[in-house]
Amino acid sequence: MKDVKPPHWAEKFLQWYCDPYYLEEISGDIYELFERRTQQQGHKLARLKFVWDVFRFFRWSNIKKSNSKHTHMNKTILFKNYLKLGFRNIKRNMVSSVINIFGLSIAISFAITIYIFADMQLNMDKFHENGKQIYLLSSYLSMDGDNNLWCGSPLLLGPQMKADNPAIEAFTRYEYRTASVKRGVNVFEESITFVDQDFLDIFSFAISKGNRDALKSRNQIIISDEMATKYFEYDEPVGQEISLKFTNGKIQRFTVGAVMEKQPYNSSLTGQIYIPFESYKSIYIDEKYNWSHRTDATFVQLKAGKNLSDISGSFSKYIDLQLGSNADWKMEKINPIGLYDMSTQSFKMLSSVSVGGHPSGRLALSIMALLLLGMACFNFMNISVASSTKRLKEIALRKVMGGVKKQITQQFLTENILQCFFALTIGMVLAYFLMIPAFDYMIPQMELKFRSYEPESLAIFLLSLLLVTGIISGSYPALYISRFEAIAIFKGNQKFGSGNLFSKAMLGVQFFLATLTIVGCFSLTDQSIHLAEKDWGYNPKGIFSFYVYNQEQLDKLEKEIINLPELKNYTTASNLIGRGIPLKTIDYDNKKISARVIRSSENFVETMQLRLLNGRSLTNQTNDQQSSVVVNETFLKQMQWQDDPINKTFVLDSTRYKIVGVVGDFHYFSFYNSIQPVVITGLKNQTPKYISVSCDPDKMYELNQKTREIWAGIAPNDPFDVVFQEDTFNDFYNENETNIILTIMVSTIAIILACLGLYGLLSFNIQKKLREFSIRKVLGADPKSIAKIAGKQYTWVLIAAFLLGAPLGYWGMAQLISTIFPDPKGVSVIPLIVAISVISITLIATVTGQVLKAINVNPANILRSE
Amino acid sequence: MKGNHLGELEELVLLTVGSLYDKAYGVAVMDELKESAGRTMNISAIHAVLRRLEEKNLLSSRMGGSTNERGGRRKRLFTLTKSGKEAIDQTIAVRNTLYNRIPDISFNFSS
Repeated sequence: MKDVKPPHWAEKFLQWYCDPYYLEEISGDIYELFERRTQQQGHKLARLKFVWDVFRFFRWSNIKKSNSKHTHMNKTILFKNYLKLGFRNIKRNMVSSVINIFGLSIAISFAITIYIFADMQLNMDKFHENGKQIYLLSSYLSMDGDNNLWCGSPLLLGPQMKADNPAIEAFTRYEYRTASVKRGVNVFEESITFVDQDFLDIFSFAISKGNRDALKSRNQIIISDEMATKYFEYDEPVGQEISLKFTNGKIQRFTVGAVMEKQPYNSSLTGQIYIPFESYKSIYIDEKYNWSHRTDATFVQLKAGKNLSDISGSFSKYIDLQLGSNADWKMEKINPIGLYDMSTQSFKMLSSVSVGGHPSGRLALSIMALLLLGMACFNFMNISVASSTKRLKEIALRKVMGGVKKQITQQFLTENILQCFFALTIGMVLAYFLMIPAFDYMIPQMELKFRSYEPESLAIFLLSLLLVTGIISGSYPALYISRFEAIAIFKGNQKFGSGNLFSKAMLGVQFFLATLTIVGCFSLTDQSIHLAEKDWGYNPKGIFSFYVYNQEQLDKLEKEIINLPELKNYTTASNLIGRGIPLKTIDYDNKKISARVIRSSENFVETMQLRLLNGRSLTNQTNDQQSSVVVNETFLKQMQWQDDPINKTFVLDSTRYKIVGVVGDFHYFSFYNSIQPVVITGLKNQTPKYISVSCDPDKMYELNQKTREIWAGIAPNDPFDVVFQEDTFNDFYNENETNIILTIMVSTIAIILACLGLYGLLSFNIQKKLREFSIRKVLGADPKSIAKIAGKQYTWVLIAAFLLGAPLGYWGMAQLISTIFPDPKGVSVIPLIVAISVISITLIATVTGQVLKAINVNPANILRSE
Repeated sequence: MKGNHLGELEELVLLTVGSLYDKAYGVAVMDELKESAGRTMNISAIHAVLRRLEEKNLLSSRMGGSTNERGGRRKRLFTLTKSGKEAIDQTIAVRNTLYNRIPDISFNFSS
């Protein structure tokens, strides 16, 4: 008969509840009955009855009681003892403790900063009470051959939906503009926002003075606290008059109806001056209030209990309305986004009204923080393992005195968590005073502070950081060492940690990680810097462009601009490099190629300072304007026309074009987008939208002033809308600069951690050899030869780790870089050289330092001690 | 005194322990009760009674030697104490006295 066992859980349960005094007889009886029943009644029934018996014994008299007279540990006193020992050990091994605590606290401060950073980005706009019912109606628009998600939507979408659909409580549009605000003699250029009258019913922005319903009368505006101080200083702002001059030259006076409190830090809508939408209509739109116009954003608030499905059914109707309106853009789809998600989604939208970071930033930073924490924990663990080898005898003694495995584990974990607690405290201080201000400095628009949307979750985060780092870094030594037999330790059989292979392997891993980190960090930084110095494909210096509204303005301007002495070249064009350029399809031999098409008059290549590789630029001759093109290199590559491209022809928009010139590839949008074929054709009787001028970069200011004056004479009612070519990639450069600083910062921390880890482990290794060195010294060795012996054993480990780590870091980084960076620069050998020298310097410094220390003590002191 | 008063089950268990002499432990008592008195009881109830009798000083116990049965667990063996024996004697004496007093006439059943 097979060996049948009672249910394991029932046995466990019995052991758990039963008073140990009775346990043996009770379990013995139950077990005897079980065996008998197994033979008589079968296995299943016996198991069932076993469980039944266990439960029947579950009665008061059998249950373990806390005041039982049996051996009971005084945990509090033991715990106090652990703490005291922990403190003593920190003091005794000051160097390694400082390395542990300092390394961990740097990593922790970084983690805290990233947590606060992410917490802020993820909790944007959560203070709006109706947030769950508020939706931003973003839309997919197709324009110039591109289909993109835009934050904006048709001007009439909001009011029409409110009229049609009873599920909608309120709506507001959100239209960004700039205006000159005049108060007394002061005039400032300010961002203004037009909103509908229910704006403050929908959003929970607090009002500090005045009437919350101010926007409901069309002559009142609401300004922020900051604006109130700026314009009225100590005067009472409510009821004051203020005059605004809009970009189309119209001037209107408004009364300040209310002052808004400073917006919470997690508000992603950052308007400072709110003006009723009625005014927008009368100032900007006039008779054009129809479906062919767009507004920057439309928000709707649903009635309580209604959800998105109550309104989404009617979307197609509005799409049809817009498509019927004959605009030069087409709405493909309405895409509602909940208010709470608006900020995190805003990176997907073009011209978003909401501030929000790209998730890749959060992700990359979190990964970096985790890596740093991992490194610090690894250092910690390594040093703990090494240092606990010194304490084997203590462990053995504890065991002899009656300590059990669990207690030893507890003791080591307590010590580790104690150190982590110090690290956490220092880390918080570092984060508060150093890391967060540094981040705030790098990304000023974030206004990063030590705070959290939910303080409880920050507290939980900190606590789990403490426990997780403490347990991860301490569990290995704690669990492993506690298993040792006391007798083996005393006999000297337990050669843990002193085994040559083991400690060398640990050191090797540490070297390996350091190499990997240094190579990785240096290549990343190198790459970012390379990106910043990258060639744009043209020289943007000294070029600026401005928007013209009609042919008449253009003609007058041309006549006057030609006479300016500063002017080098000028051209008129349909598009600007750096802004959107329409995508068209080109037919050639049954092949279809998508190309960006720029229309311009003569001198486009010269004015934009593109590199002309072959042929000539376009002229203003009719022939040229009608059927000649200049193309870029990518175009030729895709057409496979690299040799002798001049005079080749192709068809675009049913016109045959002849290639007269070739320019080098240039970046027309952003470095992250790959370059597509570009075709520069004549204007072909179209009115251009921009005049671009180029000049000596030193004279740009004067030229700008002069053209501004000319403009004021020709078109006093239209704003002078100027774009400096160097500014077109500003966002990109700012972001890249932040990236560079961040990478350098993280790299520095990582390298410091790596070196600290090396130092800690090395000094432990050498300290274990102190006796050997002392004996050598007594026998007459000179310091040089001792240092040589001490250093020699690490050389091979170092070389092995380097041979492994260098190619791996090199290869990994090359992979990573080619996925992130456009047009990557090859990874150079410099990071490898830096890595090996940093590690060697650390190694040499540590070894010499420790050996010097060993040499300077009296050998008798060391040899006597055991 | 409370100890002098025995419940019916207590009395039965006390008698059984006495009769099993030195082999009386939980399961044995349970089996014996079933065999001689026809009473099926859960082992936990037996334990409770045994422990109560021990508290009343009517039984004494010691742990037996370990065997290969019961997974090597030892048995708790119960024996009658002097006061246990007295308690049984007393109870039985009371019963006998009362029984003997029953007049013969009451045995004339009308059935």
